[in-house]
Order: sequence, then C-alpha cells, then structure tokens
Amino acid sequence: MAAAVLTTAIAACLLAPLLWPLDQSAVDLAGTRLAPSWAHLAGTDELGRDVAHRSLYGLRVSLLVGAVAALVATVIGGLVGAVAGTVGGRVDRVLMRIVDTIAALPHLLLGIFIVAMLRPSLGAVILSIGLTHWLSTARIVRSELLSLRTRPFIDAAVSGGASRIRVLTRHLLPHVLPRLALATTLMVPHAVWHETALSFLGLGLPPHLASIGNMINDGQRSLLTGAWWSSIVPGLVLVAVTLALAVLTDRWRDRLDPRVRAELNL
Amino acid sequence: MTTTVLSATTVTVDGPQHALLKVEGLSVRFRLGDATVHAVTDLHLTLHPGELLAVVGESGCGKSVLAHALLGLLPGNAVVTGRAHLRPPTGDPVDLVGCGERHLARAVRGRAVGLVPQSPATALTPVRTGRRLLEETLRAHGHTRRDAPVVADRIAADVGLDPNDLDRYPHELSGGMAQRLATALALAPDPPLLLADEPTTGLDRPLVDHTLDLLRRRCDGGAAVLLITHDLAAARRVADTVAVMYASRIVEHRPTAALFDAPAHPYTAGLLDALPDRAFRPVAGHPPMLTDLPAGCAFAPRCDRATDTCHTPPALGRDGAGRVACHHPTSTGARA
Amino acid sequence: MTAPTTQTMGGTGSSAVPSAGLAAHQVSLSFGRQSVLDRVDLHLAPGETVGLRGPSGSGKSTLARVLGLLHTPDAGHVTFDGRPVVGARHRLPAAIRTRVAILFQSPRAATDPRLSLADIVAEPLRATGTGKDEARAQAAELAELVGLTPDLLTRRPHAVSDGQLQRACLARALVHRPAYLLCDEATAMLDASTQAHLAGVITDYQRQHHAAVLLITHDPALMTRWATRVVDLPPPAGS
Repeated sequence: MAAAVLTTAIAACLLAPLLWPLDQSAVDLAGTRLAPSWAHLAGTDELGRDVAHRSLYGLRVSLLVGAVAALVATVIGGLVGAVAGTVGGRVDRVLMRIVDTIAALPHLLLGIFIVAMLRPSLGAVILSIGLTHWLSTARIVRSELLSLRTRPFIDAAVSGGASRIRVLTRHLLPHVLPRLALATTLMVPHAVWHETALSFLGLGLPPHLASIGNMINDGQRSLLTGAWWSSIVPGLVLVAVTLALAVLTDRWRDRLDPRVRAELNL
Repeated sequence: MTTTVLSATTVTVDGPQHALLKVEGLSVRFRLGDATVHAVTDLHLTLHPGELLAVVGESGCGKSVLAHALLGLLPGNAVVTGRAHLRPPTGDPVDLVGCGERHLARAVRGRAVGLVPQSPATALTPVRTGRRLLEETLRAHGHTRRDAPVVADRIAADVGLDPNDLDRYPHELSGGMAQRLATALALAPDPPLLLADEPTTGLDRPLVDHTLDLLRRRCDGGAAVLLITHDLAAARRVADTVAVMYASRIVEHRPTAALFDAPAHPYTAGLLDALPDRAFRPVAGHPPMLTDLPAGCAFAPRCDRATDTCHTPPALGRDGAGRVACHHPTSTGARA
Repeated sequence: MTAPTTQTMGGTGSSAVPSAGLAAHQVSLSFGRQSVLDRVDLHLAPGETVGLRGPSGSGKSTLARVLGLLHTPDAGHVTFDGRPVVGARHRLPAAIRTRVAILFQSPRAATDPRLSLADIVAEPLRATGTGKDEARAQAAELAELVGLTPDLLTRRPHAVSDGQLQRACLARALVHRPAYLLCDEATAMLDASTQAHLAGVITDYQRQHHAAVLLITHDPALMTRWATRVVDLPPPAGS
C-alpha cells in the first residue's frame, strides 16, 4: 500500500512535465472556486487554477526540496558527527555543546530566521531546512562511532597495524553508512513538512509557484466561502505521500537493524 | 493379577509417569537459502526429577539449539519435529514442541522450565534493581507483597549474592554477580526443570564451581537440570549422566564416571584426550558441515576404527544412560 | 604495599635478560576512582609462556591491553626489547604495534561482522601495504595451519561457529609473525578439541619463531599444562 502510494507519486512527479504541462502563471478568472467535477478533479482555486494539477506540481517541488535539504542536512550532520566521534576529547565536547544549543531553539523559528536573511528562493528554503535538521544526524553518527570504537574488533585492527584512516574507512564508516542513509530517508518527510510550513507562512517559494505550502496558504482564503477543496486536497496529498515514505523507511530500518538481523541469523 | 502389578511397576520405573521430561525423536532443521542445516537429529532423552544431565560437545554441534527448541525460542526459519513431553508435578502435562507460543509464554517459560542464561548482562532488564526484578518474579508466582522481600533475601543468599548487592542495577554488578542474579531469577519460581545454557562461560573457577554446585543442590532438592556446556570439567563435577553430541546427534549417553573413565564412542575418547590434564591432543580432522552430513556415521571420516559398516548409521538406544551410537565401540567402553 | 606486589609479580621474571622481551614496569591504571592495576611488574622473555592468574577484577585483561599497546597506563611504563614505549594505539608506529598480537575471549566481538573469514585474516597485511594477491596467499596458508577449510574462508562470522571463528582470529594474530602473543581467555569458550588444537598451533609457532606467549586462563589444568611459568596478580590495593 505504502509502496504503491509512493511509486505512483514519484512516477506522476517525474512524468508530469511531459503529460500534463503546467503554466505556473496562467489564471482563469471565469472559473474560480469550482467544486470538484470531471473537468477539475479537485475543483479550482480563487484564481480558477486546477487544484489537482497544481497539487501534483506542488508535490514535485516539495519532494525535490525535501530530498535535497535532507541530503544537505546529512552531509553537515555526518561531518560533524564523524569529527566528534573520531577525534573525541575537547573537540567532541565543544561540537556537542553547539548541537545542544541549536537543538534548544525552536527549529521552525531558526528556519524562518535563515530564510529572512536571504531572498525567497528554492536555494534559501533548502539551506534553511538543511541548517536546522542536521542535529539528529550528527548525534546518531557520533554515538554510533563512539560505541564502535570500543569494540574489540577495532582493537584487533589497531593491533594489526591499521592506520587511523584505514580504521575509519574499512571498519567504522561501512557500519555507519547504512544508518546514515536511513537517517536521510527518515528526514525527507520532516523536510517536506518544514518546507510546507515555511511556504504557508509566506516565507517559502515565490507565491505564484505551485508548492503544497503556497496552495494551502492560498486556499485558506477560500475556506470561508465553502471552497474547502483548495486547501484540503494539497494537504491530503502531502499527508499521504509523507506517511507512505515514513512507513517504508520504518520497514527498511527493521530489516537493517543489525541486532534484528543477528537474531534472524541466530 | 501378578502380571498387571509387574507391568505397572515397570511403567513407574522408567515409564512416562515419573519422567519429568521425555524428548522423543526431536529434530530441528534451519532453512538457509537452498541449504538445510541439520541442527538436532532424532534426539531421545528422558529426564527424571533429581537428575542432572549434562549435554556436551563442540560449538555448533546442536546442543544450544536443543535448549532453545525446548523453550520455543528458535528463529522463524526453524522447523521442529518430534515431541518433548513435560509432566510437572503440579499442573497439566504439556508437549513443549507442539503446544504453541501462547501456552509456552503463559504457563511454561519461567514457571515450569527455568532458564539460566548464557550472557546474564543482556538477559537482565537494565532499568530495575536486582531486588525489584526478583520480587516481581516472586509475586508473579504467587508470593505476597509481604512475603516476597524475605524470600528474595533467602534466594539471594542461596546463590551467594549479598542482599545489599540486590539493591544495585545490573550495570553496577560484576559479571559474576550478574550471573548469580540471573541464576536467582531462574530459581525464584522454583521450576521443576532448569535449563542451564553454558552458565559458566566467562566466570573464574571459584564462581564456576559455585554455580555448578548450586545447580546440583537444586537437583538434590527434587528439580531436574539439563546443563548444556562445552566444559567437560563442569559436566564431570556435577552431572549424573553425560550425553555427548556430535554433528546434531547424541553419540554417547552414559553415567558420568563411566563415561569419563572408559569412553565407549571414539569421539568421546578423542574429546577426553584433548583435555589439558590428559593427552592435550585434538581430535584429528574437522567436524562435518551441518548442511551436508554423511549418510552413515558422521564421525566415521575422522575415526581410526571406521570400517565399511560405518556407512550405515549406527543406532542409539532410546532410553536410559547406557547408550552408544557406534558400530565399533572401544573395548573398555563396551565392558562398562 | 609495593614490596609484596613486586615479589609476587617479579619472582623469576626479573632474572631474565632485561634487554630482550616485553615488560610492564610499575604499571598503574584506574578507571574513574576504581584502581585496576597498582604498580604491577611483568616480564615476558622470548620463547617462554607466562601464565597470568588472579581473581575476577584483578586487572588481568587490562594488563594484557597495556602490554598489547592498546592502552596507556596512568603511571609506570612498558618496555619493548629494553626500549621504553611511549603512548599506545595510533601514537605508536604500525611496525611496533604488529610485533605484539592479542587473542580475545570472544571471537565474535573481535571480528568485523561484514568481512569474510578470508578478509579478516588478510586484513592486517592489507592494512600495512601488502598487495591483494600476496595477502590472500599468506592468509590461505595460515588458515590451513589453524585448521580452516577453504569453504569456511568464504563465509562471514555469523555463518561459522565460535571455534571456527577463533581459529580465524588466531590466523589473523599470527599473520604479522608477532614476537609476542597475548591470549586473554582465548580458549574459554571453546571445546576441548579446538582448545588443544589451537594450543598446539601456538606452541609450534612459538618454537619456530622463539615467540613469547602470555596466557590468561581460569582453568588450572590448562595453566599447568601449558605455562612454563605462572605469575599471580593480586587484587589492587584499596579496592
């Protein structure tokens, strides 16, 4: 079920420009706030734009932003975590205090602060999400490295003459990378929600661009007139896709967890 | 009339009535891709109250799988066949293989069968003190709130744990103390059958002896103990009978002294010769892979007594402790 | 308090040639407030097998890690063939670290679960710059010596028994031809036959390379049979 939802969503996003091209700035003032019908599956909004069509393009933007931002966050978090976990000592303490400090701030507020310093654009949104979501990744990587470092097989490698780099690349990173990939995927839904929240607040993408957040924001003015579809439909699309993503990564994690795997192998 | 009495007597001596555990034709297979691992094959065992049976053998011979099978703790790819009748003195008899997970969890594990685990550090809940763990176990098994702390102290003293150490958390205990706490938890419900799976690994000699003697005392108090170990000295110290496992089968099962003084199976003889206080000489060759066992005697390829007869599997008796599965047992062993 | 410690520990060891061998001099180490080693001396001379005995918690494993150049002591020092060793782990050049090998109690914890047995044995050679084919060949040779069949070498740790995995660990430990082998309860989890086989392999190696072995074991029979000299490690004072 989750896999089907996600596959459909990704396929639709990839094929959209070929099959259903969208003129982002086109409006149809003759047909505003039309209820869902065969012509407009999810109705039209206050400017007569097709809600289903724009939700699809909104999802495209949201998933792209989510994925790239999650990647940025993973790179930052991975680097910080790796340095803290391998160098240790004072460097570790300083880095972890920085992480704790940033984690203490509400990250939406911090994200708003970051976009406010830049011009509203795709890049600004991605940076805002990337800079606020790397904390958990850094912690995961660090704690994983710290627990690996004391394992006897690392002692055996050191005793066998392996250099620091060799220990890191041959024994430590291969254990951490699957965890890191998992953390990235788990972060995508968060990043999508964050992007949506920024756009809803009017700090995300330029308003004429179809993004889920922009649409929910636009749609709320129509809610009072009874045109519920222009906000609810993009919202539902977002919930369905991010839930599907979360369910799938959860299943992946169960398979990946070495403890679970070891038990399966007896 | 007389015949009836006689047969009744026969039944009470070695029949199912008085046996606490009767394992019949137990086999365990694991499916691994296109291979099948033969972990336990056609195993027959009878265990009476007050009896301590040690199952010995090298790692990977199937002895640990036997313990896990009796507790229903095998992974999903395991196929278990055969029966294992448990007749606790109180409560209903149960087939440990066929009764299903719900019944095992509710009425068997902990209550009727206690497990002394191999690695106590991972078997103990880290967030509770030893006392809370022990008192919870006692109260789950019918002790009252008032009575539990007293019994907890008694059991702790029994296993050689200072009652003050009971108030520590598992991570504050040394390996030896954690082992004693895990043993106390297994003993607390007073189960008629105790499974001890390598209970002495990683302990120093005084502690090994202490743990073994504790199991022995339980037996003398009427419980039955199945001790799974690779440590022959441990088996010799406390077991009534010893079963030697090789490549998923029991190859010899005899009273302890007889087995150590005059082993009948060439594998047992080889294993004893490997002891540091004997010849300190390993058994030649390698054990077969459990995915690809020979059709006849599994030990024949390593055995200097093997002949053509060994291409047919040797039979092992089903009952009692005078069983040898070998076509050419050593002469001393045959006499014993 | 120093006097009895030195006597028990020094015993016959101090009479050996001071220049050759691996030695701990007045080594002390504590974890937090817990003192684990208190001014301990131990000398391993080439060719001998020293049994190290002591109750649980007396710091036998910690002493092995200090001698194995994996842990820097708080006080005292380690000498290697008469020269003091400064620091431990990566602060020492690989050429010195590989002269001392350690065999741990649990082969499962001591092996990387992702690598095949062949890679586990060859890894120390690869790590010090030996070519792939050369490392493979040497690893295969050692694997045969410790009794690992070629089909086992392709497997990963989870698919072999403890005994088979410890054989791989011994092959790995010997791959650099160390002058000192420290066995920390290395056969405690193994059956008698595997134990006897590994002991035989180590004894043969010792004879050929005049290597020294530190034997930590709880088994008095094994100690009597194998060790040429036994040292008692008393529990540290103040614990």
